Amino acid sequence: MTERRIDLPQGTLDLLILRTLALEALHGWAISERIHQISSKVLFVQQGSLYPALHRLERKGWIKARWGASENNRRAKFYELTASGRKQLELEESTWRKLAAAVAQILETT
Amino acid sequence: MWSDLLLRLRSLFHRKKVEAELDDELRFHFENQVSKLVQSGLTPAEAQRRARLEFGGMEQLKEEHRDARGVNFIETLLQDVRYGLRILGRTPVITSVAILSLALGIGANTAIFTMMDAVMLRLLPVRNPQELVQVRIRAPKSGTEMNGYFTNPLWEQLRDQQDVFSNAFAWSETRFDLAQGGAVQYANGLWASGGTFETLGRRPAAGRLLTAADDQRGCAGAAVISYAFWQDRYGGAEGAIGSDLSLDGHLFPIIGVAPRGFYGLTAGTKFDVAIPICAVAVFGKGSRLDGRSTWWLEIMGRLKPEAAPQQLKARLEVLSQQVFAAAVPLDWEKTEQQEFLQRVLVGVPTPTGPSYLRQQMERPLYVLMAVVGLVLLIACANIASLMLARGMAREKEMATRRALGATRTRLIRQLLTECILLSSAGALLGMLFARWGNDVLLRYISTGRQTVFLDLSLNLRVLVFTAAVAVLTGILFGVLPAFRSTRVSLTSAMKGSRAVKSDTRMRFRLGKWMVASQIALSLVLLVSAGLFLRSMVKLATLDVGFDRNGVLLVNTNLKAAKVAPELRLQIYDEIEALLQKLPGVISVGRSWRTPVTGYEWNEYVSIDSPSAPKGDDSLVYFNYVSPGYFATLHTSLLAGRDFQASDTKTAPGVAVVNEAVARKFFPGANPVGKTFRVGSGSHEPGRTFQVVGLVKDSKYESLREATLQQAFFPISQIPGNDDSEYFEIRTATRPESLNAAVQNSVAQVNKAISLEFGTLAKQIEDSLVQDRLLATLSAFFGGLALLLAMIGLFGSLSYLVTQRQPEFGIRMALGAMPVSILRLVLREVATVLFVGVAAGLCLALAAVRVLESLLFGMSTRDSVTLVAATLLLAVAALAAGYLPARRAMRIDPMDALRYE
Repeated sequence: MTERRIDLPQGTLDLLILRTLALEALHGWAISERIHQISSKVLFVQQGSLYPALHRLERKGWIKARWGASENNRRAKFYELTASGRKQLELEESTWRKLAAAVAQILETT
Repeated sequence: MWSDLLLRLRSLFHRKKVEAELDDELRFHFENQVSKLVQSGLTPAEAQRRARLEFGGMEQLKEEHRDARGVNFIETLLQDVRYGLRILGRTPVITSVAILSLALGIGANTAIFTMMDAVMLRLLPVRNPQELVQVRIRAPKSGTEMNGYFTNPLWEQLRDQQDVFSNAFAWSETRFDLAQGGAVQYANGLWASGGTFETLGRRPAAGRLLTAADDQRGCAGAAVISYAFWQDRYGGAEGAIGSDLSLDGHLFPIIGVAPRGFYGLTAGTKFDVAIPICAVAVFGKGSRLDGRSTWWLEIMGRLKPEAAPQQLKARLEVLSQQVFAAAVPLDWEKTEQQEFLQRVLVGVPTPTGPSYLRQQMERPLYVLMAVVGLVLLIACANIASLMLARGMAREKEMATRRALGATRTRLIRQLLTECILLSSAGALLGMLFARWGNDVLLRYISTGRQTVFLDLSLNLRVLVFTAAVAVLTGILFGVLPAFRSTRVSLTSAMKGSRAVKSDTRMRFRLGKWMVASQIALSLVLLVSAGLFLRSMVKLATLDVGFDRNGVLLVNTNLKAAKVAPELRLQIYDEIEALLQKLPGVISVGRSWRTPVTGYEWNEYVSIDSPSAPKGDDSLVYFNYVSPGYFATLHTSLLAGRDFQASDTKTAPGVAVVNEAVARKFFPGANPVGKTFRVGSGSHEPGRTFQVVGLVKDSKYESLREATLQQAFFPISQIPGNDDSEYFEIRTATRPESLNAAVQNSVAQVNKAISLEFGTLAKQIEDSLVQDRLLATLSAFFGGLALLLAMIGLFGSLSYLVTQRQPEFGIRMALGAMPVSILRLVLREVATVLFVGVAAGLCLALAAVRVLESLLFGMSTRDSVTLVAATLLLAVAALAAGYLPARRAMRIDPMDALRYE
């Protein structure tokens, strides 16, 4: 494996999943692919963390799942954002931005 | 949150579907990954390998998902239970042995706890039992000790003047003879004041209950019967209400039936019929209503809901002055009257009702609870060993499951579930044993005089207790083996070689510790069993001062015969003359009371001497006996004469005293010819009696008493009009064989005289119920504990011999004699035994101290018992070690070596 991977900081996986699902409903594999591509192959979500995270979010009611047909016409489980998930996404985004800005500021000034 | 709950429920109830979906989802992901890799140029095989590597363990992944679903706990539990049942079913013999021994252990615990519950914990089946308060009396001189008995004048004062109870009632237990002459047929009776049922707040099952209107002076009386009595005697017929019931020859109309499940106020007895207090007058005992020294009633009240405990105390103190002032016994001496006025009423919350049985059984029950607890512990140790051995057999299974990704916690959980399954099965079976054991116990503590009744129906408390014991037991014997057998070294186990040597030695050491602790605990039980047995033997072979065997006791009661008081003596003389002539009768005596019934009558006695005993030293226990009483009981007359026909009612007062009186009152002198006066509280205050005879000391009230001072008076001089006497008949044959002949003879004199038969031997045996119960049960459980410990030792040694077989083989091949192998094995036995006995002796010496008060004439450090128990244990241990040792000696070196 030549790609360089960065481990996701604690708690950011939820944010990334919610963000990825904000545009359209996706199945698990597509979510991990999407994150991988958009992050310019820096971020790679292990299956071992992806699916437990998906089920956790589902239980919290932020995403919901339904079975549908995939691009190659196979049965796949699609996840989509719920209303409360959208709210949660906004909340987490703003928290993240504040955190990132704060961290960046510290890094630049010292 | 709804979505959360729904999802959890879905995954619980549609487990298969959810699992399949998870499977689909993960496979879809996997296949996509593979095809992506193939597109990037890898061969399909290589792509699969890479994807699988990335994926990690599919099963582990699934397990994490299951955890994320949040119902894994219940799901796993169900899974474990199913698996556990399969595993247990695969070894039916071991499983049944384990369940059976658990059932014995848990059953014994449940049985004793059920008794404890019924005797001590169960609330009275009445409305709000926690509001019930028993009123008792504290005399200023008696410190904290309280007496619960009242005179009727005191009760009437209290009833009319109290304002702290919403309602109060008085009651007294008694026996009524239902038969009209001939052999008695006793029913348990209750004198109950009018407010009894109203205070208890129970409604009748039929008819009506007693009310205040039924309990007025001069009443004709009315009877309320218990539900059980209604069912047994009348088949629950409505017609029973309004019909007449004969009690001691007097007829009372039945007005109603008490509610089902209400057995009376005291645990250990049940009432059959209740009649109002005022009805004592009907029985010619009207004097009881006004008697200011006749203490026969107990009082209970229902606290007003708003009354605080502090208020109760204050109110009762104020009430005490009024109540006692209005009911002073005027015939008492001035100082005694002063003391009477200082008595105080005390309220004691009694939600469980008062109980004589409770006082008697409380300590024995605690002791038995401890005993059965220890037995269960010993049984647990055995099952733990069994589980250890099985855990070893399953080493490979455990290793495989670990390798497939099961965590150790998960495996421990699985093993513990199996153990709790085992113990639950044991508990279920144990509940059956307990029911049976309770029946046996009840029969055991019942005596000829008193059939003990306890409501032993299953209740929530007993169920919770049993369930808790089951779970705890399961964890107790499961925890160690579970931790042990999940600590596997994956590689060595998978290689299939025998487990690593050091580990098995470890395991044996563990087993050895368990056996040593079993031995220690069994020794504690054996020592206490020995103490109880020896104490029991001492009591049973005690010199009681008379010969208990071959004596028939017949109580004759003239109540129903309505004999005029002046004719009574004549009738008794007639009966005695007839009995003397019966074939098989050696001699006949008569007395007012018989020995060792727990009944006492004592008086202060004085003599004209400066060194006369004072206070309690001058307390003498009285009885009235006939000429021939001493001869019949084989109580030796040491000096003077027996009573004789010339000691008539009008003759001068005479008495026979025992050695204790002679020692205390007339030291160094012959008491015959001396005189003494009886105290002021007696039937004949101040009367002087002349001592005409001296008899050997004998037991009066109980076998445990220190020698009491006793004085006997001629039964012909009995004052008042007592209508009940005992005949003591020494027989040449079995005493009971004369029952019919005696009944015939009495019927010749008067058919309406009621009779009750018993034997002196049985009466004394009955007084030892508590001792017999403790001795028998502790011996039984001690034996059981010993057996269990020996099974443990046997198992542990057999295991050792199997493990060291190759070693023994090599030793023998190198020329070791079988005897030296034997020595090796016996050394193990000796170590275990030594450690166990040493610990056991320390434990026993510390633990049995609490038994002191239950023993008779023994120290808890009784060396005979300690040595005997230790020897028994040692012999049993050698016996248990014999078989494995013999097997070790017979090992064929060739076989053993080939095995390796």
